[in-house]
Amino acid sequence: MTRLLLDAREMEHPEPLEKAIAILRGLDEESYLYMLHRREPVPLTALAREHGLNALVRCDEQGEWHILISRNRDIDLEAFLLDRDSRA
Amino acid sequence: MFQNSGLSLDQAPPISVVFRFFLAGSLWGIAAGIWLFFAGAPALEPSTPEALILTHMLTLGVMLSFMLGALFQMLPVLAGVALHDPVKAAIRSQYPILFGTLFLLSAFATASGALYAFALLFLGIGLLPIAARMLSRLYRLPSHSPSSRGMGFSLYNLLLLVAVGGWMLALLGGWMQRGDLPALKQLHLDLGLLGWIALLIVSVSFQVIEMFYVTPPYPKRYARWMPALLTGTLTVEFVAALNAPVLEPWIESFAAILLMVHALLTLRRLSMRQRPLTDATVWFWRLGMGALAAAMLLLVVGNLTDLSTSLTMVLYVLYTSFALSVVLAMAYKIVPFLTWFHLNAQGYFTAPMMHEVIHPQNAKRHLALHSTTVFVALVAAFDPRLWPLAGSLLCASFAWIAVNIYRAWHLYLHVQKTGERFDMGSFS
Repeated sequence: MTRLLLDAREMEHPEPLEKAIAILRGLDEESYLYMLHRREPVPLTALAREHGLNALVRCDEQGEWHILISRNRDIDLEAFLLDRDSRA
Repeated sequence: MFQNSGLSLDQAPPISVVFRFFLAGSLWGIAAGIWLFFAGAPALEPSTPEALILTHMLTLGVMLSFMLGALFQMLPVLAGVALHDPVKAAIRSQYPILFGTLFLLSAFATASGALYAFALLFLGIGLLPIAARMLSRLYRLPSHSPSSRGMGFSLYNLLLLVAVGGWMLALLGGWMQRGDLPALKQLHLDLGLLGWIALLIVSVSFQVIEMFYVTPPYPKRYARWMPALLTGTLTVEFVAALNAPVLEPWIESFAAILLMVHALLTLRRLSMRQRPLTDATVWFWRLGMGALAAAMLLLVVGNLTDLSTSLTMVLYVLYTSFALSVVLAMAYKIVPFLTWFHLNAQGYFTAPMMHEVIHPQNAKRHLALHSTTVFVALVAAFDPRLWPLAGSLLCASFAWIAVNIYRAWHLYLHVQKTGERFDMGSFS
């Protein structure tokens, strides 16, 4: 699976949402969006679920949000979660 | 290691719910500008019917409309509270509030007891059920953020405000004799301006300043306790108004100092932005928070010594500038976002980007107009000949935002009518 990383931790509203939607529109069965954010982007996950996409939202110990969205509903997004070391 | 998401949002409130309140608020702002143009300086002199009318046009007409619209939008996003059937709830509160406000303004102009009674009835019907419903939903939340807690306290203050307003109308209408009208008036002002309007803005700022502008968060303990402390202070003032009105100015001064601290903390945070991009909404916030700090300082000084009529007017102008600046900052974030969000949720390929709904340059021009309005109004406090100009500018400023909201709404309908839609499978 191809990871399309969007590090939105230092982006100002509405940049993260607009960039994430642009990536979602380009997803295929073999790719997924991996977004890092300082807040939970509720509207983005609401939009993804509205369109029947596979979405996973988790907050890590540092308070950073990991948002994984794929078009392929058969994959377990949990398996693609990155910890701090693997991101580095 | 990873924690599950605590929030879920099936859908945002329908766009019409928020836009109807924002548009109504803008139209009331135009009306307030026209009123100021014709009434002139008496509209800023305490206790004149002209001033009561202008104050309630701005608070019940402009601020309440924008704040209810923002609450319908913010409660699901910031607090995870979605109201059932928001369209019906919005209509059931908006029309009674509209008629109640019109009755109240007419009552101020004519001192008619019957009009006061109608005002009380309609405002009660419009405000109490929606405020109680929002408050009860917030109360039932298993855990609170500083924003949701603060929103709850501000709604509690709104309920107290309506109750005190009703009491005052009963005194003015002659159906009740108990109560000291000047003390109740002071309490009504503080509950409305400090406990409802300012505290709701404070509560929203806890989340949006950090979220929108990538600033450091407010100190945790401060954000947790400030709304409770302010509300507790106003509750003590409530008791003092009934039993020891002489204490009211001291209690009010303490509340003002709390808000001044918040304004300074916010300005500090905005100066620590990680990516200081140029954005009109940041400057609306800066202007608003600067005006709040100055207004609260004047309020405290006014409680220690008598302010001249001009300085009292400056205080009113500064407070109004605070509230209107933040309202405009939020409107320029919410209106493009909602238009974009709903069209994307409905799957329109041709959905405009947020900056295409209201161009940032447009917001910057409005910032210039709004800043000029504030400046002229401040000078008019010392040169009353300028009040008609201030009124015209206020009118133009609200016409500007009304046109922007209408255009966004029109664009939304246009894309819905002509845009190409994609289904779930065609996201790619």
